[in-house]
Amino acid sequence: MNSQTRPWRKGTVFPFAAFQGQDQARLALCLAVVCPAIGGVLLSGEKGTGKSTLARGLASVLRGLGGGAFVDLPLGAGEDRLSGAIDLEKALRLGRIAWQPGLLAQAHGGVLYADEVNLLPDHIADMLLDACASGVHRVEREGVSMEHPSRFVLVGSMNPEEGELRPQLADRFGLCVAVQASREASERLKVLRAIESFEADPAGFAQGYAGQSDDLLKKLELAVRLYPGVALTAKARELCVTLAGQANSAGQRAELVMARAAKAHAALDSRADATEDDVKAVAEMVLVHRRRMAPPPPPPRQEEQPEPPHDHEHEPDQPEEQQEEPPQDRPESGQASQEQSPGPDQPRDDQGEGAPDTAAPSAPKEEVFEIGQTFQLKPIRFRKDRLRRKAGSGRRTPTRTISKCGRYVKARLDERATDLALDATLRAAAPHQHGRRAMTAGGPAVILKPRDLRDKLREKRVGTLIVFVVDASSSMGAARRMSEAKGAVLSWLLDAYRKRDKVAFVAFRGEKAVTLLPPSSSMERAFRLLEELPTGGKTPLAHGLAEGYRIIQTELRKNPSTIPMLLLISDGRTNVSFSGGRPLKDALAMAESIACDPRIRPIVVDTEPDHINAMGLAKRLAEALRGKHFKVEDLKAESLVGIIAEGRAS
Amino acid sequence: MSARPLYPFSAIVGQERMKQALLLNVVLPSIGGVLIRGEKGTAKSTAVRALAALLPDIEVVEGCRFHCDPDDPSRHCQECLERASSGPLPRAHVPTRVVELPVGATEDRVVGSLDLERAIREGLKSFEPGVLARANRAILYVDEVNLLDDHVVDALLDAAAMGVNTVEREGVSMSHPSRFVLVGTMNPEEGELRPQLLDRFGLCVEVEGIIDPAARMEIIRRLEAYEADPEGFAHRHKADDAAQADRLTQAKRIISEVTISDEMLLDVARLSIALEVDGHRADLVMMRAAKAMAALDGRTEVQRSDLRRAAELALPHRMRRKPFEDVGVDGEAIERVLGQEQ
Repeated sequence: MNSQTRPWRKGTVFPFAAFQGQDQARLALCLAVVCPAIGGVLLSGEKGTGKSTLARGLASVLRGLGGGAFVDLPLGAGEDRLSGAIDLEKALRLGRIAWQPGLLAQAHGGVLYADEVNLLPDHIADMLLDACASGVHRVEREGVSMEHPSRFVLVGSMNPEEGELRPQLADRFGLCVAVQASREASERLKVLRAIESFEADPAGFAQGYAGQSDDLLKKLELAVRLYPGVALTAKARELCVTLAGQANSAGQRAELVMARAAKAHAALDSRADATEDDVKAVAEMVLVHRRRMAPPPPPPRQEEQPEPPHDHEHEPDQPEEQQEEPPQDRPESGQASQEQSPGPDQPRDDQGEGAPDTAAPSAPKEEVFEIGQTFQLKPIRFRKDRLRRKAGSGRRTPTRTISKCGRYVKARLDERATDLALDATLRAAAPHQHGRRAMTAGGPAVILKPRDLRDKLREKRVGTLIVFVVDASSSMGAARRMSEAKGAVLSWLLDAYRKRDKVAFVAFRGEKAVTLLPPSSSMERAFRLLEELPTGGKTPLAHGLAEGYRIIQTELRKNPSTIPMLLLISDGRTNVSFSGGRPLKDALAMAESIACDPRIRPIVVDTEPDHINAMGLAKRLAEALRGKHFKVEDLKAESLVGIIAEGRAS
Repeated sequence: MSARPLYPFSAIVGQERMKQALLLNVVLPSIGGVLIRGEKGTAKSTAVRALAALLPDIEVVEGCRFHCDPDDPSRHCQECLERASSGPLPRAHVPTRVVELPVGATEDRVVGSLDLERAIREGLKSFEPGVLARANRAILYVDEVNLLDDHVVDALLDAAAMGVNTVEREGVSMSHPSRFVLVGTMNPEEGELRPQLLDRFGLCVEVEGIIDPAARMEIIRRLEAYEADPEGFAHRHKADDAAQADRLTQAKRIISEVTISDEMLLDVARLSIALEVDGHRADLVMMRAAKAMAALDGRTEVQRSDLRRAAELALPHRMRRKPFEDVGVDGEAIERVLGQEQ
């Protein structure tokens, strides 16, 4: 049962040399093979672009080079297989404690490939990180204390839409390439034809590319031999430092990696001098995930990146963010008129928003407001979160888990163990062996009885699920409320990202509420959706609450340990009835029924401006929800930190 | 299973797209399965079970836990490889199965795990196969795939993509073949699937309850007839089912000969570009589905109409959606790129 021998894979992997397009990705992988000290390659990009095919194609290249193993790390791999564990068979049958090496040992001298590296559980990622950083894997558990060398080229692939990669892990990858499908129909045709003929006859296809595969191997072999003799010209070295400096990358790793990659690039070209051109050829893949100011790595399609707020300041430094919405949002309120609750609240804010009440009866008009100010959160708190993980103490409740993923923390007596803690079981059985042996002849060396059995107790951290329920009706278009609300949501998203919480996103307007983002840890998608979120139409508030509640219910069913937070962002006005009654009454009833579920932590962010005629509906909703109530203004700066702390504390 | 015959495939009223998507996957499993979105009570599981009954028996290595194909050594499991080295493998015939994955399934039951009982009793480390082992060369039916734990869905789709299930847990390190036609169902009202997971399903069909009163009457009438006399009912549809089965067998025979012109493939690429779908998977699936469509029709050349229908099945779940847009395919865009229906 060795992962190296997977016969049906041989010849069924698309040959590396036959790959159409993705030149940068192929180059990066070749550079890492020439100089493993570059430290691995991260392929990041949209789904279905052949990232894993490319990475797996590397296996045969390595084989051809007579080099190390290609080890595939499946997403569901347990820590016992990554790190190694006591060999059960030897322990029980032979009575010997033997260590069964894990994937980190197997990968030594070769390539470790982690598909969807951004989705690896934290304790697995930590283990990977540690081995990458030190080149040694230390085992200190299950009564075994040992260490072995574990130096490998880490190749990872990920889709940034599925969630970000932790910066420490991203930094471990020497090179990063954004992979994207070609937007050129003729290029795509080539890809399709290549795959078509590969599928029709894999072996024949590989044969057809045997020449190219051979050439590639020769080129790589030569480059590996040449590499030690390659020198960087003075100008090239200077360029490395300049480029790394411009990118404002942390530490010295960027220029080091760039120098190595440039030399490997020269070696691939059979030259002994690495010039500025070599540096330029590799600079982008070295820097793309190290540039600070932008979340790593930039998705190819998105033009504008959100600037994460800078931790060290309190004032947002986005001068382009307008404090006031451009005037075009005024005519908008033709819809708004319908939705005002009866009452003398015409002057809805200082800009005299009430006036256009008489506007033409409009089809639901919509508008997309830009994201307003994000406010600054106190940075220290969030930094702490990162450190906490290693220190092992935490604010976020670690929880015992019954599933077999999670970190093995201790063993407990369980005669019906399903997740056997071998070490503890052996210890429990040891004293009885003499007596039991006397009673049975033959059989395994260690005789186990049900009362010896110990089950692994595992620990997993619980995430918070923050469900944003955002009012996108026309009343939010008034003045800059929607921008402001979007800013508030984005601030929260940033915080959730740092805390690695899941977020879900519901917006309501017109006749219905829509789940824009099902529970996900993808900041990027959330951001894009937020940016594109249109405003306009009536206000089905109860629908929004119902939808948010439904998401929480579903998530709790899937993952009962989730701590759900329901965050309603609204002024509390509503004009669409849910069950045929009065809209407001419906909404309050819905809020009350949500309040009956003690697992949910509701928060209402009130967007109604302060005014003499303010109706305070959002406050009433908060009371009905038995949740907290905040004005947008109260969210800024320190006050925000307070809420999150409160919301999470209990 | 009782002796009662299954409801025949050809007796299912309506739901043409769903039936077609299922048939296409049988003809060309590399299409990558089908996701059926829609309400309950729309004959989803009936169709899947009936489909399996249409399929001919498969030949397997006798006693193999993974139902390896004796004629395809490149996909043999470790055990079959070892057995094959000491003589020809014994053969057996089994019907095509439908393996169901229950919603509450845990990851270790899906990918397989250490056989703990054996380990304790005999001190032997052996692999206890999971659902993915049983699913090899079968139809894997996952009801309410959107309610599965994300870990489980990841494992499932990984195996579906690779045709191999890799297990690295509990001291077990092994992999075995796991190629199956994946059929997932979901009710979108219960929550969406992550886009990455949506994308892994080759085709997607939206099913709706049938509204047309005449068709509804017909459904009830047939169900009554089936309930009253399953044998007789099945017998009456035997000829139709046999014709359908023949069509499938024929299509499978010619699928490898089906060709598609450069011109049409360029249209496929243009369509993906115009609709801004991610990656190449949509292109690939459209190509494969169009070929299967032609094969089902007994042709060895893809026509424009195949392409259009393939696009309608391959694109709805891959479109980039803006807030407040529903899942669905932009029919106009398809027409713009592929031209009007003749």
